[in-house]
Parts: sequence; C-alpha cells; structure tokens
Amino acid sequence: MSHEGHYREAHPLIFVVTHWINLVCMIGLAFTGFYIHYPFFAGFMYGARAIHFLLMFVIIINLACRIILAFWVKTANQLGTRETDIDLKNWLPQKENKYQFMETVKYYTFFRNTRVISAKYGALQKIAYLATPIITLFMAYTGFALYTPAHSWAIWPFFAAGVSFFGGAMGIRIAHYFGMWVVILFTMVHAYLAAIDGFKPLWGLIFLWRETPGDEH
Amino acid sequence: MAQEARAEFTELLAARGVSRRDFLKYCGSVAALLGMSEMYAPQIAAAVGKLQPALWMAHGLCTGCTESMAQVDNPDVPTVVLDLLSVNYWETVMAAAGTQAEDNVAATVAAGGYVLIVEGSVMLGENGNVLRIGGKPGIEELKTVAAKAAAVIAVGSCAVDGGWVAGAPNIANATGVSKFLKDSGINVPVINLPTCPVNPEWVVAMLVDVLLMGELADGSILKKLDDMGRPKLIFGSTIHDNCPRRGHFENGEFVVFGSPTQAADEAAGWCLYQMGCKGPTTQTNCPLVRWNHRSSWCVEAGSPCIGCGNANPITGGPGNWFDASAPFLTRHADVRLPGIGGVQPSTIGAVVGGVAAVGLVAHGLGSAAKGRVKGVPTETQKVHDAKMASKGGDK
Repeated sequence: MSHEGHYREAHPLIFVVTHWINLVCMIGLAFTGFYIHYPFFAGFMYGARAIHFLLMFVIIINLACRIILAFWVKTANQLGTRETDIDLKNWLPQKENKYQFMETVKYYTFFRNTRVISAKYGALQKIAYLATPIITLFMAYTGFALYTPAHSWAIWPFFAAGVSFFGGAMGIRIAHYFGMWVVILFTMVHAYLAAIDGFKPLWGLIFLWRETPGDEH
Repeated sequence: MAQEARAEFTELLAARGVSRRDFLKYCGSVAALLGMSEMYAPQIAAAVGKLQPALWMAHGLCTGCTESMAQVDNPDVPTVVLDLLSVNYWETVMAAAGTQAEDNVAATVAAGGYVLIVEGSVMLGENGNVLRIGGKPGIEELKTVAAKAAAVIAVGSCAVDGGWVAGAPNIANATGVSKFLKDSGINVPVINLPTCPVNPEWVVAMLVDVLLMGELADGSILKKLDDMGRPKLIFGSTIHDNCPRRGHFENGEFVVFGSPTQAADEAAGWCLYQMGCKGPTTQTNCPLVRWNHRSSWCVEAGSPCIGCGNANPITGGPGNWFDASAPFLTRHADVRLPGIGGVQPSTIGAVVGGVAAVGLVAHGLGSAAKGRVKGVPTETQKVHDAKMASKGGDK
C-alpha cells in the first residue's frame, strides 16, 4: 500500500464517471465482440451486434468528452496532494518524465527497490494512457472498415485505404480482433498495477470516489 | 459487313434451335443483370450480333473456368452468344492446332480491336518459363496479345490476382493479369471477374457491356468498375448481405460441427457462420445470380462460402482468396508467422493473453516476496535531481 493520501482531486467526479463508462463499454464490447467472432451460444447475434454498435458510439463520445474535459478540469499534479493543475498537463508527458522512464522500468523489473517519484502518473503509465485513445480510435476505424453499410458512405475511401492496407476484408477483421487483445492486455496490466500499488485506496477512489488519507500528510 | 454478320448470326441462332423470341428474352435477362431496363434488350441483341473477335488465352489454369462456361446446357443462349464472339483461339475447345492455331493468334493480333479473355494466373517464376506457350515464355505471349487488345477480361481468380496458385508459398511466383500488364507498361483496360471458377453469366454480362453501345470506346465501362477493376454491380455487396440464410444469422441460429442437432439444423437451413462461412468478407452477387444455369450456389447447397470472390489485383500477392480464406472451416484465415507457418489469430490471442496472465502472477509473487504489496518506501529525491546536485546543482 502506498503511503500517499488518495484525494478526490486526483480523480474528480466527472472522471470517475468517464472511467465507469469506459469500463462498462469495454466489458460489453469485448463480450459482444467475442460473441460476434464466434457465437458460443445460440440466439443472441442480433442483440450482440446492436449492443456492439451502441457501446462503440458511447465509448467514442465518452473519449471525445474526456479529451475536451482534459482542457478544462483541474486534477492533482502529484501523488498525495490537493494541489491541482489543468488535467491535460498531467496527462501528457512532462519534461522530466524522460529521466524517470528507465528508473521506473528498473523498479518494475526488480532492479531497484524504492518507488520512483513522478508526477500524478508515472512515465510508463503516461505512455499507456496516451495509447488508450489511439487504440480506441483504431478499433473504431477498423470496426467501421468492416461494417458493410459504411461502403455507401461518402467517407468510405478513408476506410477503404485501411482495408487495402491490411490486405482485404479478412485482414481488417483480424486487425480488429488483435486490437481487442491489445485492449485486454492493457486492462490486465492496468488492473494488476492498480491492485498491487494499493488496491483499497486506488480502486476506492476511482470507482467509489472515496478518499483515503496518507500516512505522512 | 454488319449486315452480313447479322444474317450469319440469325442463321446460327436458328441452326441451334434458338428462336428470335428466346434470344430477345435472354437479352432481357442480361439487361436485368446489368441493372438496366428490359427496354435495352433490342440494343443488347444488336450488340451481341456483331461478331466481335476475341482470344481466350490459357495461362496457369486448371481449365475450371472453361469448364464453368461449358456447364451451361447445349444449345444454350449463352453458349450461342459466346460462339458468336468469333473466338479465334481457345486452347481447350478450338479445332485448330499447332502452327495453324498460332497463326490465328498472330492474325487476330495484327488486325487488333479484339477482346482478350485471360484464364489462369500469370506465372513469373523461372523468368516466365514455368509456363511456355507456342515455344516462348507465357508472359511474352501475354504481352504480345494484350498490347493490341481493345480490352482484357480476366476470368477467374487466378487471372485476377494469381488466385490459389499465388497462395503461400507461391513457388511459381504467380500474379494477376492487371498487375502484370501495369508492371509491363501495357495500358489496356482490364475487367476483373474473380471467383473460382468464374460465373459464366458474368462473363456474358461483361462481354455485352464491353460491346454494348461502345461502352469501351467512350470509357464508360471503366466507371462501372471499382478500384480493383471489378464491376461494381456484381462485386458491390457481400454474400452475407444477400444470403438466403441471413435471417438465421440475425436470429443466432447456427449449424455447429458435432452438435447433437447438427443434421436437423442443416436441414432447417440455419446459418453456416460457425462452420467458417466467409460470406461476410466476400463481395459477389452469387446469392442473386447463382450458378450452373442459376440452379443453386455453394451456400444454398449446404457448404459454407470459402471466399473465392476475394481478390487483391492491386498488389497481386498475399490477399488472394486462398490466403484470405484458408482454412475454410474456421472463422478467421490463418496468420502466417515466419518460421512457424499458419496460425489462427484466436490461438495467438489466447497464447499472448495466457503468457501475460502468467507474467502478471509471477510479477505479483515477486512483488509480494519483496514486500511491495504491504508498502514500499518511495525515493527521497528524484534520481535525476540527485545526479544534478552531485554535479553542482541543476541550473
């Protein structure tokens, strides 16, 4: 368990909400996606596809809101503090993160015993959190590219380029499928790290918006 | 001249027991196939009566497409129409042989303005000597005949992009006609008609289109093709979208290998998606036009679609229908990993996910052993700051 306090400033209520929406959408999309890939029980294909499309729109709108809010909402700029700064600054890599990168890698590969001081997020964490919008947009892009009604849209050439890039309709399907596994791997590592770095305070804050005071402050 | 040809055409129709009425009826169905009003039937009849010279060249082929053309029962109107094309060379069915046949090709090429139909893959291996025609490499022959052609129709997947002949490992270095001609700097319009074999109705439709009202001459035929050179009308929607089993797909009613109700579900015409049907990724109008004189087609006959309408004529290599569809009875095609070969994407996903899970458990045990789970001291000063301080401070 970490020693810092976990205050609401780290994750303002609106981001607790967007995080919940992401979680629900991702579980729903993964489940219906695997069902559409291989219907492991009968009678749900229409429902699975409808839910898959609906949740895709929800997660993309949620992503857009999350990015726009990052310009307005202030979040804690360090661990264990109520001091805030514009969220975007805490989300994007900061100058000193490059010095922390190798140290963080050393810590997680057991070549270093003390935790690295970084900003709100660690150096590796920032890379992962920047990758999530990209993989989300990649999934939306490949998803539309294999969605037949999209063929008649004016924007279709934009998707057709991707279909050609991945070598046809089967290629883009496989790319979409592997993208799902990337999201699953991210979620596994994300949940694991959040659990070992302090399950109760971290999960309590992000899901229940519950504060945990620190030892030292 | 045109008058003569018309008279000859009518006689040939009569000799084969086709009345003028039958012929116009057929032209009406061709018009419908092309998405035109039946009003155009007389114009189509006029167009097909012109005895256009044509060459049917055989390259890396199994003669399946010729067989497919022959499946129409005799004397059938499509057969008549194709006979009336004045096909001056067609290895499988022509009477001429040896130098006489080669002379026919030479004379047709010299006259120019003919339609070139290519069946089979273009084989580049061994400098084109994998396939030799008339004593020279097949690719040389193709260059000669394509250069003077008014249009090329690539029939069957092999001619389109190499087809299954180009499937991994593609030792004959097979490719498609359009890519080969483009690479050779020969600028002739190419119409691609994939599927293995080609559907004869499409060939007839395209021949009529090419001849009809000078669609080739004014270039309007090219506007009817997609970026792969396939007629949009034929290859514009997926098999899945027009499938007679689509309702069962939406209902979630699938035939499953080895399930106790497999036979009953098959008899009920349930969806073959779980049997590896490639209908959702294959764009042809098979469910509408059907095969063998419009009697049936693969999925109607109980087989999952194996995706033979997929094509990649642009790069001409991977992406051919075989690489894009095999194995036929699984949902996804194999991914080819160097040194391992074909692997199912779901296997790759499960292995990577499994390794990650094991890795995280191991890391968790390691963290527990190091006492990190109960809390670990954080550094008192950032490493970089400490370094800067030892160098005399960070300015």
